[in-house]
Amino acid sequence: MRHYEMVVILEPSLDERTVAPSLETFLNVIRTDGGTVENVEVWGRRRLAYEIEKNAEGIYAVLDVNCEPATIKEMDRQLALNESVLRTKVMRRDPNAGARRGKAGAS
Amino acid sequence: MAGRAARVGRPPKKKANPLHARGIGTVDWKDTALLRTFVSDRGKIRSRRVTGLTGQQQRQVATAIKTAREMALLPYTSTAR
Repeated sequence: MRHYEMVVILEPSLDERTVAPSLETFLNVIRTDGGTVENVEVWGRRRLAYEIEKNAEGIYAVLDVNCEPATIKEMDRQLALNESVLRTKVMRRDPNAGARRGKAGAS
Repeated sequence: MAGRAARVGRPPKKKANPLHARGIGTVDWKDTALLRTFVSDRGKIRSRRVTGLTGQQQRQVATAIKTAREMALLPYTSTAR
């Protein structure tokens, strides 16, 4: 099991309230494969630094997930197939970075 | 010889202490406000000479900026001049 951080940028035309439930359907991939979802953070609509597929804005969601490498790969694949997903990125983070991140946020 | 003497004589250029004296251990790509201080108004990553960071910090900042660019939080280029 590894810890992953995943960022998803969704189309701005979606309703922000529907984002969390629709992400759930994707997160079920992880749950059924024995992984755990630690945190789902929906940032909401944000201006993009440059256009992605002609969109000037995007809805950001950051997911913290513990799962096997194959599982996150499958979820990433499924997200990428979805038309309303503009971009995804999976990153690995070392587990004690969280504590330091907390400190950075406080200062 | 004279040149060398001048170099030695010059005050050793005030070392700008790394901005990480702000108590930031690891750089997070989500902290755009911080990362923006390390890019020029053109969107280029500032050099170590300018930022005054340690090698390790500079690499961390550079990778953080690159991820932030991928996620459209920072521009690759900006023509705003």
